[in-house]
Amino acid sequence: MSDLIIQILAASMLLATPLLLAAIGELVVEKSGVINLGVEGMMLIGGLAGFIALYQLQTSECTMLIGETCFTFKNSVNQFQYIGSLIIAAIVGAMAATLFGFLTQYFRANHIAAGLGLTVLGAGLSNSLGGNFFGVDYTAAIVASVPPLFPKAWGDVPLIGPLLFSQNLLVPFSFVMLVAVWFFLNRTRAGLIVRAVGENHHSAYALGYPVIFVRMATIMFGGAMAGLAGAFIVIAQIAPKWTEGITVGKGWLALALILFSTWRPGRVLLGAYLFGIVLALEPRLKAIFSNMSLEVSYFLTALPYIVPVVVLVLISRNPVMIRRNAPASLGQSFEPRS
Amino acid sequence: MIRFVPRTQFGFWATAFPLLLALAITVVVGFLVMLAMSSQPLADTWTLLTFPWQARTAAVQWGFVLQKSSYLAIMAVGLSIGFRANVWNIGAEGQFAFGSIFAFAAYLLFGMPDTVWFLPVMLGFGVLGGVAWALIPAALRVWANTNELLTSLMLVYVAANVLNYVTTGPWKGDPKAGQAESDPIHESLRIMSIIERTDFHWGVVICAGAILILAFVVLFTTFGYSLRVAQNTPRAQRFAGFSPKMTVWMSFILSGATAGLAGAIFLSAETGKLIQSENYLNGLGFTAIVIAFLGRLHPLGIVAAALVISYVNVGATYVQSASQVDDAVADLVQVTALFAVLGTAFLSQYRVVFGRPDLSTEGAA
Repeated sequence: MSDLIIQILAASMLLATPLLLAAIGELVVEKSGVINLGVEGMMLIGGLAGFIALYQLQTSECTMLIGETCFTFKNSVNQFQYIGSLIIAAIVGAMAATLFGFLTQYFRANHIAAGLGLTVLGAGLSNSLGGNFFGVDYTAAIVASVPPLFPKAWGDVPLIGPLLFSQNLLVPFSFVMLVAVWFFLNRTRAGLIVRAVGENHHSAYALGYPVIFVRMATIMFGGAMAGLAGAFIVIAQIAPKWTEGITVGKGWLALALILFSTWRPGRVLLGAYLFGIVLALEPRLKAIFSNMSLEVSYFLTALPYIVPVVVLVLISRNPVMIRRNAPASLGQSFEPRS
Repeated sequence: MIRFVPRTQFGFWATAFPLLLALAITVVVGFLVMLAMSSQPLADTWTLLTFPWQARTAAVQWGFVLQKSSYLAIMAVGLSIGFRANVWNIGAEGQFAFGSIFAFAAYLLFGMPDTVWFLPVMLGFGVLGGVAWALIPAALRVWANTNELLTSLMLVYVAANVLNYVTTGPWKGDPKAGQAESDPIHESLRIMSIIERTDFHWGVVICAGAILILAFVVLFTTFGYSLRVAQNTPRAQRFAGFSPKMTVWMSFILSGATAGLAGAIFLSAETGKLIQSENYLNGLGFTAIVIAFLGRLHPLGIVAAALVISYVNVGATYVQSASQVDDAVADLVQVTALFAVLGTAFLSQYRVVFGRPDLSTEGAA
């Protein structure tokens, strides 16, 4: 039984990490007064970019050479190649976000429309490029799994082994980023400026802060984090594999997390792991109660999308709580001369 | 130096200039995409632009365009009603699915009638299904103050699971089919083509009629006016005596109804049976959001946008089969157009001024 609990916890850490990464990024974006609904799209583009990068970077060794052509390969990936692919994913995610930033900040486009457009762009572009990018079909590409960060034997340590030592690099990274973002927003001068821009962009502008520059920076940070989240889903969650629309709404879950957290980093963590446990429970419950009826089985599949709705309802019933914490300029375009 | 100065006069040019600029950007970027993706860009662009006349029968190609654009336009017009009032229903895909499910449920409920007279009942149930599914986020919004954008989207995934459930469970048809699907409805309940052997069917006419009615409501009624007030000055809405709650209810009812109608027509005209979600829902509900913004939330603009985007989409499919250019070209053109329209929209509020600020004439606006 305790084995099962540890198994579920370990799995929920894997499932919560991309949500946490994307939500941390979006938290900073929203704190600066921008609402970017393109998280899902940036995750898809970033995830594909990371996958392509890892495919190109991995060490490929020929195990069966007949004449000039190689028939079987032995691929392997080390941590540095993995980190390289993550950096590419973050850069590409940030580039996609920059497009959104230009539209909303310089051309004053509607945030919601531009964000939805970014999601459509991400889905369309990743579908077409994933099927054929310079002649390679990445839906069929084989990439070696990323080795665990710590020696394999450490994972056998009871309790903390599977939870701490057999995790992917990005799992501890997500915690570090969470603390860093909390510290940045609440304890540094730059974080104060970001929050000032988000609360009242006119006052911030009058004080001499570069509103648009700050917002572009946070948008790019959000894009980079979404790219990492996408890369994590594609590369590290199971084995590296690219399929169309692989994020299945995780980007939207990250957006729901922000509302759930009422823009507080600590509660982002809580929410991400709550959603993570729900996502992790589904296949295990199905495996344990293998004779469950079809209704229950489909209800479980839909549960990761029903839980956020229920949670949002519970949180939003108190409008004061939302209003007290929401950045006051959220989703408004900034026009300097008015 | 380029500056943007708020317009004081709004003429024809204020509306036309941004749209023309957006069109120019789309054409240029679209051609660049073609250059990147095609080995013979000029010829392929020409094929894309004139494909109905290149194909064996032009009527078939026009049928595809009309069929696709009617689904997009009807859903986009419904969505635009809410978007005008900042009510964000982005779950049209789920309401579309429920339109189909309710239409099929009606078919089973009334004992699988084999007469064309039952078709209106089926479509009516489809509308009900879309409305029922749309009422969930609306109710949560009004009663629990929940963000309707996220809940309506989450419900898309739930609706897809419901569709998967009914096609694998209670309504499972032929078990030997390669996909989970229901039994087909009677041939008499399939919406007929107006022109033989094309996709130009009576569903297109029904959609056009519904669009006309909605356009009238939006443009010429007090309700439509209240939406415009809500769009431009949200605070004034309450002063003018319009209830924001009513706006939320009506936006979701109308957008749910249009999506449900589209779903029911889709069931009757295209597939004739329910199929598992991966093969049944093809993103029309999401594309409709793009169409709504492309048409600047105006019924006329939406119809035009739906026709153009469908034309490019069908054209891209044709080019793909003719000369192996990936039909993702259409997606890219669509998103380019969206970003161009969004990015130039502010030019209807601002003038572009070259040169240094002249404070004496402009004041400190």
